[in-house]
Amino acid sequence: MIKKSIIERILQKALSNGADFSELFFEDSVSSSIQLLDSNIVESISGNDYGAGIRVFYGHKAIYAFTNDVSEKGLLTAAEAVSKAEIGNKSLEAVDLTEKLYDSPHKVLIPFDSVHHQDKIAFIHSIDTASRNFSAYISQVSINYMEKIQKVMIANNEGLLAKDQRTYARIFVSSIASKDNQMQTGGEGPGALMGYEFFNSLDPEELGRTTAERAVKMLLADYAPSGKFPIIIGNAFGGVIFHEACGHSLETTSVAKGASVFSDKLEKQIANSCVTAIDDGTIPNKWGSSTIDDEGSLTKRTVLIDKGVLKSFMIDKLGGLKIGMPSTGSGRRQSYKFAPTSRMRNTFINTGTDSINDMISSVDFGLYAKKMGGGSVQPGTGDFNFAVGEGYLIEKGKVTKPVRGATLIGNGRDILKKISMISDDLELAEGMCGSQSGIIPTCVGQPTIKVDEIVVGGRKEK
Amino acid sequence: MFEKEFQHIQKLAKKYDIQYYDVYLSKSKAFSVKIFRQDIDSFNYSDSTGLGIRVILDDITGYSYTEKLDRESLESALRNARENAKSVDFKEKIVLDNYPAIDENLDIYNKDLSGIPVEDKIKKAKELEKIALDYDKRIVNVPHALISDNESFFKIANSSGLNKEYSTNACYGLSFCLAKEGEETKSGYFEAQSRDFNDIKPQNISNEAAQRALDLLGAREIKSDNYPILFNNEMSATLLSTFWRIFSAKTVQEGQSLLKGQLGKNIAHSIVNIIDDALLNNGYNTRPFDDEGYPSRKTELIADGLLQSFLHNTITALKDGTVSTGNASRSYKSTINISPSNLYIKPGLSSKNDLYSKFPKCLEIVQLSGMHSGCNTISGDFSMGAQGFYCENGKRKYPIHNFTVSGNFLQLMKQVVGIADDLKFKLSAIGAPSILVEDLSISG
Repeated sequence: MIKKSIIERILQKALSNGADFSELFFEDSVSSSIQLLDSNIVESISGNDYGAGIRVFYGHKAIYAFTNDVSEKGLLTAAEAVSKAEIGNKSLEAVDLTEKLYDSPHKVLIPFDSVHHQDKIAFIHSIDTASRNFSAYISQVSINYMEKIQKVMIANNEGLLAKDQRTYARIFVSSIASKDNQMQTGGEGPGALMGYEFFNSLDPEELGRTTAERAVKMLLADYAPSGKFPIIIGNAFGGVIFHEACGHSLETTSVAKGASVFSDKLEKQIANSCVTAIDDGTIPNKWGSSTIDDEGSLTKRTVLIDKGVLKSFMIDKLGGLKIGMPSTGSGRRQSYKFAPTSRMRNTFINTGTDSINDMISSVDFGLYAKKMGGGSVQPGTGDFNFAVGEGYLIEKGKVTKPVRGATLIGNGRDILKKISMISDDLELAEGMCGSQSGIIPTCVGQPTIKVDEIVVGGRKEK
Repeated sequence: MFEKEFQHIQKLAKKYDIQYYDVYLSKSKAFSVKIFRQDIDSFNYSDSTGLGIRVILDDITGYSYTEKLDRESLESALRNARENAKSVDFKEKIVLDNYPAIDENLDIYNKDLSGIPVEDKIKKAKELEKIALDYDKRIVNVPHALISDNESFFKIANSSGLNKEYSTNACYGLSFCLAKEGEETKSGYFEAQSRDFNDIKPQNISNEAAQRALDLLGAREIKSDNYPILFNNEMSATLLSTFWRIFSAKTVQEGQSLLKGQLGKNIAHSIVNIIDDALLNNGYNTRPFDDEGYPSRKTELIADGLLQSFLHNTITALKDGTVSTGNASRSYKSTINISPSNLYIKPGLSSKNDLYSKFPKCLEIVQLSGMHSGCNTISGDFSMGAQGFYCENGKRKYPIHNFTVSGNFLQLMKQVVGIADDLKFKLSAIGAPSILVEDLSISG
């Protein structure tokens, strides 16, 4: 990549106006994507992302610059730009880098370039065929295949020099069912921090069928009722509720500013005592894992909430300085084009002991949101909003019929207290999470849970 | 700029006997500063360039891109694009042409903007925060007080002899504040964009943001029912931003738009007009040509409620037997698609105040959340979290929160019963006036 002596000069240049900290992040990523639509491969694109970002701290101020000119001259220009943003009072010390070597727990067995292009295309086509074979209502299938190898190198004036190579595999399948003027979508997007062996582990028939089945089921479903009632949220992607409603508010990005409802709640009961929540960047080959974070810290398993009590935030270097706590290895960024900030990795509500049957039979009238859609939250207020991808009505303790078009809205702080039952079927699901430092791979997850009361926006009166 | 690199690719294309291709380059310089508690919270500077290549072999297209612009990387990008074309089995007719230039002289680059000293930008960002905090003691926090500016350069060349470029720039100011009273926290947000730094006035931006947060304090809940709904101009624009894809000819041809087969038909109330205008005076997305080099123009999408046109690039236009509307869009990393330029709902003649009085009671919506989760852009169904005001006898009575508004975008356009004269564009270059909708379902 870049010679050590040059990096040392750049880090030093960035400190030359009295900055407290300087860091160089270098990236060389190769990615490739293939898209299927109308049962045809319609797009194939590959590319090389290549550049570097330089960051300095003056106290709690972060200054960032990036460039694709990674010649020594280009980098020195960027280093000078960041150094000039402020005047600090730290005396200049020599930068002496020592490379840290890590043994990555995230092994890659089959490199992407060892697999024939035609095999990848045959795999994509077989998903399309399975979806269309499921039902005549399926009018369109859209599939996006993605592979990416991100090589990063991080160095800072504290002497750190670390490298990581992250191999990502993901496929997103969206089946559309239509009838008259109505359309409904069923989607799945499995992914992993793995090589081609991940695609080998997937069953294309099942991917096609399950997405088609959900689209058709929702197409034929009646609109969901609206009102306030108990809701049972399915496992895996159901964890998007925690991700949106609480996760973002536990990132130092919002905590450090007092902009989070949880800023002053450490060691306090913020959730029902049945709730334990974890953010884990170390799970082998999981989509949101990595050996080191984008600031060169080893990733960790961080218990956020233990039996309802807030135990930790997700902390990056700068956020850690601001709140006076060490990094949890949570500094992440989409690419060299973003300064890192605290972000989620694989975030989930831990397993419980309740049975799904008990949950359902405890509800007189409510909604079973078996599969969640996406959502968003406003960290300042904790207000969230997310869509139900596959929903069912619960009447007198029994799941009765599928319903569509439901949205759940509420407030993160309130909902944590309203989680009353947690089952033992913990699973994680892959997603892309967008925030200040770009769009990054993360997992959400949970077992099936019961929330005693939530506002459901539907199209019908209860 | 970059003439050398483009000539090199031309030479390589000859060497590899590639007949049809185009090259798209964008270079962007951006700066932003965010202030928190009168100190720099973040300070970003960037200068980045990328180049995308599209190779067309027997009506099949392959793409590649690179951020390394040395000769070796350009050569491997060209080779990769050709290899990618070989794996695609979808044929589509693509014509590359040397399109003419437009007649207009667009005012989209302000030389003075690049000379604004960093200190002035920092000072303005600090004012944004201070003014908001000083506005009222209930404004407790300003999580975002930001000033930014950017400058972009685009260059497109193709194998038919087209070789065009332009530069554009803009600056931007934003204030987002939180108002707190008791346990209740509400947010308010306002932003301004211009090509003149003097137009970014912290006083206007932060006073408005603060007032908006304060106005929402004391919010009550609302009974689930159907109400007439007044979307303020920004939220009308948000709705249009969420659903504009139904106007994309690509979405239509892919069978993912509700407007398929609706051309010439009545799809909205007769007072609704929707226009896309890449030549709009002072528009955020005003430009001489689109990302295929096709000359810019103004297109009526909906005129008096009738669907007149879709948004086209040359590929979709060829399929539909029409001409491009100059809406091709791409980044150097992406394939050719379609995007609006400056897209807006044409303002009406009534004032927003007139709209409040049209019904004995209505709900005004000033914030929406969950656009990407609660909206199905294929079916047009939406169900979004909202905040706003309960209005009675032509006036706001009290703020309301914790409710969702749901409906269907196409049905909504037929139910528009009033359009105000307060057209406002969002940063996405999508704009709208306040609109009054007869009847939507609210659940609280």
